[in-house]
Amino acid sequence: MILPLLRAAAAVLALLAAPAGALDITLPGDSSALQPSDLPGYALAQAKCLTCHSTEYVQYQPATLGRTYWKATVAKMKKPFGAALDDADIDAITDYLVRTYGNERSTR
Amino acid sequence: MPRDFDAAPQRRRRRLLGAAAAGALGGFTGMSRRSIAAESQLTLPFDNGQRALATFPQKRPMIVLTTRPPQLETPFEIFDQGLITPNDAFFVRYHLSGIPTSVDPAAFRLNVSGKVDKPLSLGLAELKALGEPIEIVAVNQCSGNSRALFAPRVNGGQLGNGAMGNARWTGIALKRVLEAAGVQAGAVQVSFDGLDQPIRDATPDFVKALPVEQALDGEVMVAWAMNGEDLPMLNGYPIRLVVPGHYGTYWVKHLSDIKVLDAPFTGFWMASAYRIPDNACSCVEPGTAPARTVPIGRFNVRSFITSLRDGARLPVGHERLVKGIAFDGGQGIREVAFSDDDGRSWRIATLGRDLGRFSFREWTISFKPAAKGDYALRVRAVNRAGQSQPLDALWNPPGYMRNVVETVRVTAA
Repeated sequence: MILPLLRAAAAVLALLAAPAGALDITLPGDSSALQPSDLPGYALAQAKCLTCHSTEYVQYQPATLGRTYWKATVAKMKKPFGAALDDADIDAITDYLVRTYGNERSTR
Repeated sequence: MPRDFDAAPQRRRRRLLGAAAAGALGGFTGMSRRSIAAESQLTLPFDNGQRALATFPQKRPMIVLTTRPPQLETPFEIFDQGLITPNDAFFVRYHLSGIPTSVDPAAFRLNVSGKVDKPLSLGLAELKALGEPIEIVAVNQCSGNSRALFAPRVNGGQLGNGAMGNARWTGIALKRVLEAAGVQAGAVQVSFDGLDQPIRDATPDFVKALPVEQALDGEVMVAWAMNGEDLPMLNGYPIRLVVPGHYGTYWVKHLSDIKVLDAPFTGFWMASAYRIPDNACSCVEPGTAPARTVPIGRFNVRSFITSLRDGARLPVGHERLVKGIAFDGGQGIREVAFSDDDGRSWRIATLGRDLGRFSFREWTISFKPAAKGDYALRVRAVNRAGQSQPLDALWNPPGYMRNVVETVRVTAA
């Protein structure tokens, strides 16, 4: 009951505060999620990879790529790209990615 | 100090609230980002090439490489519809997810600092008043355009051929801006930073640099319009760098800070990323690493058939006009040759109107499949310096600068 009123009031305030000629855009939310898995790297990947980027970065890599590739990629996210990963995180996320998106996956 | 991982929405919210208007959109629901509307799907011609087409702000449906940050490819049929790529179909490439979603042009400033006599903080009107505006038709192309077609495949954004576009850019020569600030003796490079920023402090901000001679060459431009209209937000509103003939990595969007430097810039995006093998072909044996690398620079020569797609079926014995585009790093296209027998024989195509040496150049040629069967159509351009395209694809580890002679396979029946 009161929520729509508040919402309307907020909208009016926001319009008053908005610079007249500003260009505003609203970006769409992520279009896909990481494939669920029982592997420990799944939750870690959700928490640590998706902080900075959407899932397509993972899912569109060639499915033929193996563990060496994925480990190098995850390690690259720590350095130089600054992800908050310790060595155990890197191993767990690598394991999840290569078994879900790489050449160790059971189904495509 | 690294932020913990839920800092991202906070930072984004701060930016939006700073913009005020976003409060109307998200005041009570946090972000209330609408979910992506995938209009349709398509499959690009490589393993794992299924892609969604979706609509982003100020864009028509585009091929989604990534949602966050937005990376969008131009559907290839756009390149057959005209030499100028419409703003709402122009490709989008970001590196970092902290992209501006609200920009007030009245409050925007472009700062010029470093080895200059007079540091500047220019509003858009002041920038435009620095001199006569210039216009140029120029291709922008991602360094990794066509990366997914590399064999063996390489790491990075798995792009088809849609990370390129040709637009008429309006702006002011960077030289005028630098002259207004007064470049001091001893300057060697100029660095460029935009409003986009990393989510985590530990992530290198996207900053690029050019040699000072190039920055002062009169061709590099600070552009505020694209095809006669404001830049779309996702193409760099309100101003971006335009570096004609050079890969898009230098075309810094939302340009906000220019620094004149007395030593080479050492940031990650110059010193480690966007580097190519230091040899004439910018290539190495597939699967090997280059001994030495240099920053990527000018486009090599490319050409495409746009009027026919792989798998097209043509009526046998009927003459048709085949059409396409060619471009290079700024010499201009001298000649385009076409083959309908997989490169055994070549005929010279007719070049279309010249929109300038940095633009797409149209070419056309007649083609009549005389007999039933399969035809491998190939196209190869030569620029005014005599540079051309390799018949077999070259390779480098980051998947940059693909420019093999393209082949379109059609069937006459």
